Amino acid sequence: MSLAKWTVGLMAGMSMLAFAAQANAGEVRVTVAEYSAKTGPYFDSVKKEFEAANPGITVKFEVVPWDVLLQKLTTDITAGTNADLSIIGTRWLIDFVQQDVAEPLDSYIKPDFKGRFIDTFLSPSIMDGKTYGLPIAASARALYYNRELFEKAGIANPPATWTELQEDARKIKALGSGTFGFGLQGKEIETDVYYYYAMWSQGTEILNKDGTSGLGTPGALEAAKLYKSMIDEGLTEPGVTSNNREDVQNLFKQGKVGMMITAPFLSNQIKDEAPKLKYGVAAIPAGPTGARGTYGVTDSIIMFKNSKNKDEAWKLLNFLFTTEQRAKFTQGEGFLPVNKEEAKMDYYVNNADLAAFTALLPDARFAPIIPGWEEVAQITSDAMQKIYLGSAEPEAALKDAAAKANAVLKK
Amino acid sequence: MQNRFLPYLLTLPSLFLAAVVIFWPVWDLVQISTHEVSRFGQLREFNDFANFAALAADPDFMAALWRTGQWTVLVVGGALLLSIPVAMILNTDFYGRGVARVIIMLPWAVSLTMTAVVWRWALSGESGMLNSALIGLGLIDHNIQWLASAETAFPMQVLIGILVTVPFTTTIFLGGLSSIPDDLYEAAALEGATSLQQFREITFPLLKPFINIAIVLNTIYVFNSFPIIWVMTQGGPANSTDILVTHLYKLAFRIGKLGEASAVSLVMFAILLVFTMIYVRLAMREQRG
Repeated sequence: MSLAKWTVGLMAGMSMLAFAAQANAGEVRVTVAEYSAKTGPYFDSVKKEFEAANPGITVKFEVVPWDVLLQKLTTDITAGTNADLSIIGTRWLIDFVQQDVAEPLDSYIKPDFKGRFIDTFLSPSIMDGKTYGLPIAASARALYYNRELFEKAGIANPPATWTELQEDARKIKALGSGTFGFGLQGKEIETDVYYYYAMWSQGTEILNKDGTSGLGTPGALEAAKLYKSMIDEGLTEPGVTSNNREDVQNLFKQGKVGMMITAPFLSNQIKDEAPKLKYGVAAIPAGPTGARGTYGVTDSIIMFKNSKNKDEAWKLLNFLFTTEQRAKFTQGEGFLPVNKEEAKMDYYVNNADLAAFTALLPDARFAPIIPGWEEVAQITSDAMQKIYLGSAEPEAALKDAAAKANAVLKK
Repeated sequence: MQNRFLPYLLTLPSLFLAAVVIFWPVWDLVQISTHEVSRFGQLREFNDFANFAALAADPDFMAALWRTGQWTVLVVGGALLLSIPVAMILNTDFYGRGVARVIIMLPWAVSLTMTAVVWRWALSGESGMLNSALIGLGLIDHNIQWLASAETAFPMQVLIGILVTVPFTTTIFLGGLSSIPDDLYEAAALEGATSLQQFREITFPLLKPFINIAIVLNTIYVFNSFPIIWVMTQGGPANSTDILVTHLYKLAFRIGKLGEASAVSLVMFAILLVFTMIYVRLAMREQRG
């Protein structure tokens, strides 16, 4: 028996196994990311309400920790055992579209359905004029500051520019007693993003107009030098490269950090874990020319091309994007509203924290829609870590990173 | 005639099982690593070992390869050096030996990932247990940022690696020690041998087969060990604590280069295979001689 025949035989065996794992008629399987402890219970209640309203359809939610979501999807898709619907990071969408695993939703979307969304958040899920995903979670970043430390240090207002931020950080450092001016993230996911805040304020974008990496520009160098000088001056927490976003958030919740840039969900965490903390939310500081940028992120829910139950899956999507369901999910997780009606609710209108975030939306940059983006992000994070550690000079590290990023971008 | 074929016939079912669970994935890896492959594992055309060439040209891979060597030698060696005396102590009869054995074995019962998570907290710079303990003892006067750079992070990871490898190694040695008859020691004592001589002439030689098996099994296990490094530093900062398996994970699931990741996997497989074959050969020859 030839090797090829063996391979075919084994493949057949494998696909039979895969077939056995496939859904029954009328069952909709959904892979969802676990954003917080509230995610699981929310989707449990969705299952109950939706199944009661739609007899004959059963829903199965697979709640997966965010960190392993891409790994699970990769293995599931490779094996052909993926669910009908899945939440994905919108920045991954291009891969899914290019590999032809995502189903365009345009044939299902009625004008009134499309009208439910805020355009800023729907547009990242549209590629080549086709809508491949619906924004299920949206978030932006803003500057959190500790009012109590600001008061003690005699600072009246949150910093409007990076120069002011440095001065404020000096004043907070002078308070002593284990307080740090500016919380700087230097580890794990979004280490690169934390650097972009400074870079965008220099008027530099992730990609230059000609599609090459912005890391080689003078603005990128200025931004890296700014962070490095703050580390050297002791204006950040020590051991920057050992602190991921959660670590810096924890320092902020403990009242040890004067300022940090992060997402709206920190407000929810503070409410639960450190209700006595007096804090405010402000715009991300601007650069010398007044340029500023925040990071806008959406996660999309997509339908897989190989789904056997597309109509049922669409019914579920339709249900998930009703104002009521959206409000329940968004408020529980601490995201921004993606739904126009939802955004008009008192909860959002009267919430000063969220107002600061929505005010920044015109300055929001989304991750560029290019293949290989994750690799470029990784290259940038590695370069930042080298700079923060002092194991490479900013200029050399950025030049090297720009060359590597350009090699990826050329492909 | 029938007798000659019967053994092969009897091993056939397990050979078939082994083929399914071992040879099939390896064959799959060979396929993926020698072809263009999409983000989600669909094979495209054969690509002249471009994935292997990319690895050889990648300084991060070479650094991870070298570091994997250090990691394996240090953890396996450290665990060995620590386990022999521990096993010898636990083999003597003393009050509370049962409790002591349980304590030594406990790290084994806890999931490796959980152990790593706890250590990550303990090593946290500002609120970690280790720093507050060291400051409390007056050994340091300011917090050490253990995980901020490879100079402190990697040695700590090696120490934790040793800690979690000791229970298994000790168990093997305890089995070995209990197989050494007591009268050998009695006779040696009668002849006036010191305890050092007893160790060198009796314990160590008789323990050797067990040491060999501990080295082979631990090397395979530690070489492939993922949780400690991944949980504590994810191979960072700037890939400075990466070993091959964390490098592979990033290639495959962060960046989506399944082809290169499969190539790394095959390189790891080949290294372990060659190591095991050479080592087992040497160990056997020694025993026969």
